[in-house]
Formats: sequence, structure tokens, C-alpha cells
Amino acid sequence: MEAIGGLLTGFGVILTLDNLFLCFLGSLIGTLVGVLPGVGPLAALALLLPITFTMTPVGGMVMLASIFYGAMYGGSTTSILLNIPGEAASVVTCLDGHQMAKQGRAGAALGIAAIGSFVAGTLGVIVMTFFAPTIAAVAIRFGPPENFALMVLGIVCTLFMITGSPVKGALMVALGFLTAAVGIDVVNGRERFTFGSIDLSAGIELLAVVIGLFGVTEVLNNVERVVKSTLVAERIRGLWPTLADWRASWRPMLRGSGLGFLLGLVPGGGPVTASFMSYALEKRISAHPDGFGKGAIEGVAGPESANNAAVAGSIIPVLSLGIPSNAVTALLLGALVIHGVQPGPLFITQRPDLFWGIVASMYVGNVLLLLLNLPLVGLWVQFLRIPYRVLFPIVLLLSIVGVYSANKNVFDLWVMLGFGVAGYVLSKLKYDLAPFVIAFVLAPLLEQSLRQSLAMSPDGAMIFVQRPGTALMLVSSAVLVALMVRRKPKGGSR
Amino acid sequence: MFERALNAFWILLGAAAAAYAWTLGLIGASGPESGLFPFLAGLIIMGAGAVLLLRPASENIAPDFPRGQALWRVLGVIAGLAFMAISIPFLGFAVAGFITMVILLRTVEKSSWWFSLALALVAIVVVVWLFGRVLGMALPRGPWGCEAWRPSGGCSPVSASS
Repeated sequence: MEAIGGLLTGFGVILTLDNLFLCFLGSLIGTLVGVLPGVGPLAALALLLPITFTMTPVGGMVMLASIFYGAMYGGSTTSILLNIPGEAASVVTCLDGHQMAKQGRAGAALGIAAIGSFVAGTLGVIVMTFFAPTIAAVAIRFGPPENFALMVLGIVCTLFMITGSPVKGALMVALGFLTAAVGIDVVNGRERFTFGSIDLSAGIELLAVVIGLFGVTEVLNNVERVVKSTLVAERIRGLWPTLADWRASWRPMLRGSGLGFLLGLVPGGGPVTASFMSYALEKRISAHPDGFGKGAIEGVAGPESANNAAVAGSIIPVLSLGIPSNAVTALLLGALVIHGVQPGPLFITQRPDLFWGIVASMYVGNVLLLLLNLPLVGLWVQFLRIPYRVLFPIVLLLSIVGVYSANKNVFDLWVMLGFGVAGYVLSKLKYDLAPFVIAFVLAPLLEQSLRQSLAMSPDGAMIFVQRPGTALMLVSSAVLVALMVRRKPKGGSR
Repeated sequence: MFERALNAFWILLGAAAAAYAWTLGLIGASGPESGLFPFLAGLIIMGAGAVLLLRPASENIAPDFPRGQALWRVLGVIAGLAFMAISIPFLGFAVAGFITMVILLRTVEKSSWWFSLALALVAIVVVVWLFGRVLGMALPRGPWGCEAWRPSGGCSPVSASS
């Protein structure tokens, strides 16, 4: 009942003209970001974060969250019609969605992708409504040692889930910690790694790091090749699925929703992993697995549902524990901190308007996105005609505006460029960049918890063993590390 | 070869970071000091670098760095961004952005002069109008006058940071 009351509060917050407009705007931008290949939701969120500085925290977060889940809707359009994923979570949709389009069933593929996204997104938010307060109620009893152990477990889970080398992932985590340590130590005012530079004494700007790593890196990776794409269908007909399509799709939608939600909760999971695992699951349990890759509608319904449910799942740890499960939610956490709000177990009780406002906006946003993606699909098809040579200079221009506006300091532009080049080189060597951002955002909290824990302990580091909850989480982390060590290296890289 | 050199760099970076953090102090009378956390991070970087360096050579990745035209396109984008960062304090956002866009469109994408000039002009006008005027965000004007247009129509003076 408490959740229902909270949700009503949230609808009271969201159902104002300003907030509804921001939810609509975010959904519109999110769909556009999803549709346009080469512009990911993370880069878009980072680019648009400075705009939210002039908004209320509720309005800003509603817009940013709707860009995140809006991108999941839009990504399928490009995958189905161009065979190029609009964003990473729609990669698998290319396999069967594009085949359906080539067979003249683009409408059915787009329809089932949008409906699956709506069903999963709504189911995910319903579970989130009741689940997030329960998690927060448990976590509210946590002290600094438990918070430290939970963050360690979250980071180890991220390393366990990444597709590349866990050693490279651990290195990226440590680099994230080290980068975050640059600046003035807030506890005693000492300068760290500043080397006398005034620019460095303020610390490394989050926006410059994220836009560099995910905006500039993406542009550099895209401009090195000339991608020629052909639009399969100019006019989309038959968006509403047939009875046979429904029969084939409703189970994958529900399975994708459940799987996606659970994978969203797990650090390192999120929409990309969810869509791949859903596709693998559907293919494995299908009575006719040979049909996959040749236009099986289950191969669209499952992954598209999974990536949307994962968004709802991945927002829960950020809002109720203050722990991001992927790079996008790490940026959302950073955005909340910039707005002067610290997410965590106390967030729901201290800022019910903001928490329930975000939850309620996700119900509204899913309806808006269904309307934007089904009747207006023709409009999005027109956007697919924009060549990348027109897009990338504009993306770079917006990157510069976004980074500069945070501190009005040209030094941040050099930081962005440096991280962009570093991200490009590291991505060539199969380094996963997401753990870096998660560690960079979590580092101040992790360091604070570590120092508080050690300061309050008469037995030094033994405090982490003496408290059962902390010990359990650290033992779980150690087990995961042991499993990673025993795991066979993938793709020749351990 | 490139990856081995990078792994050696990680070891050196981790060692340097840990050594510097040591000088900040690890544990003091009142508990953990400023150096503890970066010291641990430095050790992890050093350890991970060592593991990557000591693994069999067959596990190293040969990076598919671009060559020929593709390399020039990548370098063109990097040079464009560097030009923008250098020139903004002297030329302001609008002029520096316009020149950068024209350079990118001409050199990286080989677009025609007319197309490059028209797109750069339209993009700059829209960005300056939307971000500088409608949203009231501060865009550096350099020597050309005020730093940020206010929604009311006025403009704020150039600040020292720009």
C-alpha cells in the first residue's frame, strides 16, 4: 500500500505541464538517439546533461531517464530497416528483424518490437514500484562497512559479466579510481595528483570523461570506415501483428521481460547483455531453432522486450542503493549528485517526490513511446536518410558545448579529447570502457566508506570480517573472482 | 608488440601512482590518509599490467588500427577537436566551431565547398541560438563581445575563465 501511495504522489508530480513536456521531449530525443546509428544513449545523456542544470531535479531526471529508455525503443527501427544497430542493445535485432524486412514484413517486425518494448517496459516499472522500496528498506540498516562491501561486490559483478578480459576490466576499474582521486581530498584538503595545476585541483570533470570515452571514441570508430546502408522499406505497412505473430511472440515477450529485468539488476548486466541472452534463450528453447537468423519473430520479440525491462531493472540499484549497474546508470547517478541529490537507501524517504516522480514518468513515458514509435514510424524512417558525414560534425559540436558548459573551462575540452583518443586506442585492444566510468563515479563513495570503516574500527581491516553482512558480500566477491580466474580465456584474451 | 608496450606502460603507471600515493601517507594517527585509496588503485594497475605482460604472446591482440584514408579521417577528427580547443579562447565558440566544421567536412568527408560552408553555417547558428540564447548556456565569444546571451535579450560580460 505504501508503494501505491508513493506512486500516486509520483503521478501528482509528473502530471504537470512542465514535467509531461520534459518526459515527451526526453522520449522524442531518446527515440531519435536510438534511431540514429553512431549516437548512443550514453553520449546523448552526457551531451544533454548540462541542459538539465537549469531545470528542477525532477524535470532533469525525468528527461534523462526517458532518453535512456526511449533509445531502447528507437534502436530497433534502424536494426530492422538498415541492418545497422541504432544502439548496442539492438544488435541482435538485426539478425531476424532485418530478415523479416527483406521478406516484406518490416511492419510486423517494427510493430512487435514496439509492443514488446512497451509490455516489458511497463512490467519492469510495475515490479520496480514494489521492489525498489523493499531493497531500500533493507539497505537503510547498512553502515559504512556494508556500503563498502556492497560497492566492491557490485564492481566485481560488473567484471564477472563483461564479455572481454576480466584482467583488463580490473585495470579499467583501478584507472577509474585513480582518475577520480585527482584533485583536492575533501577529508583533509590535501591535493592529490594535481602537480601544481589549478585546472587539476578541481578534479577531472565527469562530463569530459564520459563524452570523451563514449562520444568522441564512437565518432573516431565510425569515421574510419565508410558504411553504405540501404533502406529496405520506404513505406511501412501492417504494423499491427497478425494472430500468428502474437501466438509466436507473447511467450518470448514475457520471458524477455523477466530475464531482462533480472539482468538489469545485476551490476554489469543491463540492456545489451539482456538482449543477447534473451536471443540465445529463445533460440535454445525454440522448436525450430533453424528459423533463427532467417526472420523468426521470436528473435525480435524476446531481445526487444529484454532490453527495455533491463532499463527498469538497472535503475533500481541506482535509486535504492546508490550503486550503478552500467555506464548509463553511472551517469544518471552523477547527474543526481550534480543536482545536489545523493541516491541511496535514504533517497526514497528523503526525496519521495523525485523517486516516485521518476517511477511515474516511466509509466507515462512507455505510453508516449508506443505512440511515438508506431504511428510515427514513417517520420523516423526519414531520419535514417541523414548520412553520417552530416551527423558527426554536429555530434562533435554538441560535445564541445556540453563539456565546456559544465565548468566554462577550455581545459575540459583537452580532457575530453584525451579520453576520446585513449578510449579509441583501448577499444581497439578490446578494453571495456564501462567499468572505468562506473569506478570513476563510485570512487568518492567507495573511498569515503573505506576510510569511515577503518576509522570506526578498533581492529583495522578486521571490521570487514567481523560484521556478517559485510563478510558475506566480500566472500561472494572473492568467489566471483575465483570463478573468473578459473574461467577459460575468451577470444584469446584473459 | 603494441599491446606489450602498453602493458609495460601500465606497470610503470601503477608503480608511479603507488609511489606518489605513498608520499601522501597511507594510515595516520586518525585513520586512513589521502594516499591509501590511490595507493591501492596503483597496486591493482601494476598487478593487472604484470598479468597481461606475462601471459603467452599468442593471447595478445593485434589492434586493427586504420591505415591510408581511414587513418587520415581519424587524425582529421582529432586535429579538428585540437584546433577547436586551441582556438576557442582566441576566436570564440562560433567562429572556431564554424572553421572546425568546414575543415572536418572538407578533409574528413571530402564534402563540396558549398555543402561544407552551408552546413557549418546552419549548424553553428542553430547551436548558438539554441544553447546560447534559448537555454542561456555560456558559450565563449572570445574577442567578439559578450560571453552568453540571456533569454531577456542582454548578454553577460566575458569572464576570465573563457
